[in-house]
Amino acid sequence: MPIVVRIDVQLARQKLGVGEFAERVGLTPANIAVLKNGRAKAVRFSTLEAMCRVLDCQPGDLLEWVED
Amino acid sequence: MTNRAVVVLRILLVLLFVGLLVGQTLSIPGQLAYMASQSPVFAPLRWPLLLVAVLGMLCGQVVIVCTWRLLSMVMADRIFSEDAFVWVNVILAALVTAWALLLGTTVFLSLVLFDDPGTPMMMFAMVLAGGTVVLLMYVMRALLRQATTLRTEMDGVI
Repeated sequence: MPIVVRIDVQLARQKLGVGEFAERVGLTPANIAVLKNGRAKAVRFSTLEAMCRVLDCQPGDLLEWVED
Repeated sequence: MTNRAVVVLRILLVLLFVGLLVGQTLSIPGQLAYMASQSPVFAPLRWPLLLVAVLGMLCGQVVIVCTWRLLSMVMADRIFSEDAFVWVNVILAALVTAWALLLGTTVFLSLVLFDDPGTPMMMFAMVLAGGTVVLLMYVMRALLRQATTLRTEMDGVI
């Protein structure tokens, strides 16, 4: 049931580097990697909000369900 | 606040450990030797009782050492991890052993030695208190299990 967080697409749209994104959202690069490869077990709403704010997008633009 | 309590607790643990050591090596052997010299009925029980007493106190020392290790984990915020259960299990095993020794000694002495009701009653009260402590420790281990599961889950939240 991996829910993948599509950060790459939004990062490209905003022309933002992963490092700067991590810093502005307040996450470690390791946690960004966990989000990207679908191994995250849970995400705080505050984290989701920060990501949406930095990437200027909606939660639906970030979260995607992919079949195993 | 917790840190200060832990420091005081550690001082008490050291004192208790030394107390048990003195009991094992000096007090109990001396007391048993005296009682054996006073009563011929008691004389054959001297060495078995000494063995039981030393073993019981050894259990207490094991509990103290494990508690010390757990306190180190509390200070380092590592108490809610699988490693803690090693020490908790050893504590539980030591307490059960000590309790079984106490129960056996109490039943045995009540049957063969004591003719007054006071001492057996006091020893049975200790057996009751010991059982309470053992079961309480068992419940606390279950609580630690729950807290550890929760902490592990929370650590996965990004």
